[in-house]
Amino acid sequence: MSTTAWITTLQFAGVNALFALSIYATLWTGVLSLAPIFFGAVGAFTFGYLAGTVGLSPFLGLVLGVVLGAALGALTAALVIRLDSHYLAMATIAMVLIGRVLVVNLTELTGGAAGTLVPGELGTWLWLIGCLVVAGYVLARLAKSRFGMAADAVREDAAVAQTLGISPRRIQLVGFVISGAFGGAAGVMQASFLQYIGPDTFYTHLGFVTLAAVVLGGAFHWAGPIVGAIVFTILPELLKDVMGEYDRVVTGVLLVVIIIFVPRGLVDLRRVRLLRARSRQDPPRAGDDSARPTAPQEVTA
Amino acid sequence: MELLAQQLVNGIALGSVYALFAIGFALILARMGILNVAHGTFATWGALSSYWLVAERGVDFWIAALVGIAFAGLLGVLSDVLAFAPLRKRNAGMFAPIIASIGIWIVLLSMAEAFAGPTTKSYPVAAVPATPIQIGGLIVLPAHLMSIAALVIVVTVVHLLLNRSRFGSAVRAVSVDPRSATIVGVDARRTLLAVAFLAAAIAGLAGVLAAFSDNNVSFGLGEALLLKGFAAVVVGGYGDIRGAAAVGVAIGVLEVLSSQYISSGFRDAITFGVLLFVLVVRPQGIFGERQLVRA
Repeated sequence: MSTTAWITTLQFAGVNALFALSIYATLWTGVLSLAPIFFGAVGAFTFGYLAGTVGLSPFLGLVLGVVLGAALGALTAALVIRLDSHYLAMATIAMVLIGRVLVVNLTELTGGAAGTLVPGELGTWLWLIGCLVVAGYVLARLAKSRFGMAADAVREDAAVAQTLGISPRRIQLVGFVISGAFGGAAGVMQASFLQYIGPDTFYTHLGFVTLAAVVLGGAFHWAGPIVGAIVFTILPELLKDVMGEYDRVVTGVLLVVIIIFVPRGLVDLRRVRLLRARSRQDPPRAGDDSARPTAPQEVTA
Repeated sequence: MELLAQQLVNGIALGSVYALFAIGFALILARMGILNVAHGTFATWGALSSYWLVAERGVDFWIAALVGIAFAGLLGVLSDVLAFAPLRKRNAGMFAPIIASIGIWIVLLSMAEAFAGPTTKSYPVAAVPATPIQIGGLIVLPAHLMSIAALVIVVTVVHLLLNRSRFGSAVRAVSVDPRSATIVGVDARRTLLAVAFLAAAIAGLAGVLAAFSDNNVSFGLGEALLLKGFAAVVVGGYGDIRGAAAVGVAIGVLEVLSSQYISSGFRDAITFGVLLFVLVVRPQGIFGERQLVRA
């Protein structure tokens, strides 16, 4: 690949990382949601429409994307948070699919199937890294806060969290609002880099890639989704030379392999801590299952 | 009046396909605890493989349909062996199977896209039964008749199988706890594989019928079914396949009637509107006890 192609790929890796952080924000509270893709679509198409009609400045567009995303996140949470986790996941997948129906049919606002052009002033490294730093900082601060501890508790066991006086729904609502804000920003950034958005820009493929990124990178630390997004965006590009149009097949296979063999992802602080603790102790005794130092859920019954 | 009756028949036929798809989807969800988003691609591959046999190999339509259904069932078994069974063995929780099924979805969808190409195709005219049948004043296409008949047969057979047979008892035992079921002598592995095959084969049947009814084969065929089937399962509940099947038929009727009398552009919007309405208004009625489920 040429240098420009590499730079473009890395930029999209950055945008995907922002989407992945958005998915991570709800996953942190125990909710699997693909709604960020929908939030991104709303942010991007609103930005495109307002920039085209009233000449909205790109920065205001980004702010609007964040605010709109957060509001939509709260609304989505209000509607779906009561659902059983399976239904909730499917409802958010349905949101992505419905999003495309809306984009195709609201021709006046979105340009319909032909799509719409978007100004690209925000499509620079500075803005991209700025967004990622802000998102990472917010999540890192939250991880050390009472909210972070509560979110961990809700993710591990909502019923136990409730007995500790934590309201799972409120924690998940906050997760959705953060997810919405990140998703809206990611949509505006995606649109700025592409400078053209259509019905398929924010569709299942983007959802697949970002979810895969979270799973690969690890959903237990905010750095996981960023690492995962970088790996998962670059890998298919490298594979394209070898695999041709089948590069997505590799994405799918990887997703299955990772969830079976590395269920906690690449960035897994607990594994690091366990390994460190193990090396401090005496060398493992004979018959010790040292091949599996990771999560308790990996211990076969 | 005649138009209404005719459209009702069309709606019931369309809804039968949705209902068939919903049955398989509900089976996997209720009996294996997997929200299988790859279910749509089983339908796609059922349709694609039978189309390929008819159009490219000149195989008889009926045999091709059977092979397509079996092929879809085989994909279901393969998914279970390669992805879901290892996760079950590791006690991987609720999210892992969803993510694994998204992986399978990506694999099967992109392979379908590569196999079928971007254009939609239709069955060769001579190869498929297409002469309309007159029943009273109504004109019924063979595809419609087949869809309705297939739904009636599948609902009856699957319902009896699950509720009146030893196999059904085994399935219920395994769906509660595979290990306890093993203690009382049930082969959990084989039972789960049988359910996986059954559910995916029914999806394949829905796929073949959908392709045959619209006379339209494309790699996106299963995605439309997935959403409609999901809506049927949410509204109808997944504990009893008859509920999902009834709502599937209702969605088909609603779609055909709303595009006839309201607007065809709003066809999908109405279905999703009903889905969202039920999700928001009656979640506890269908999905209660959420906080009691331990992670």
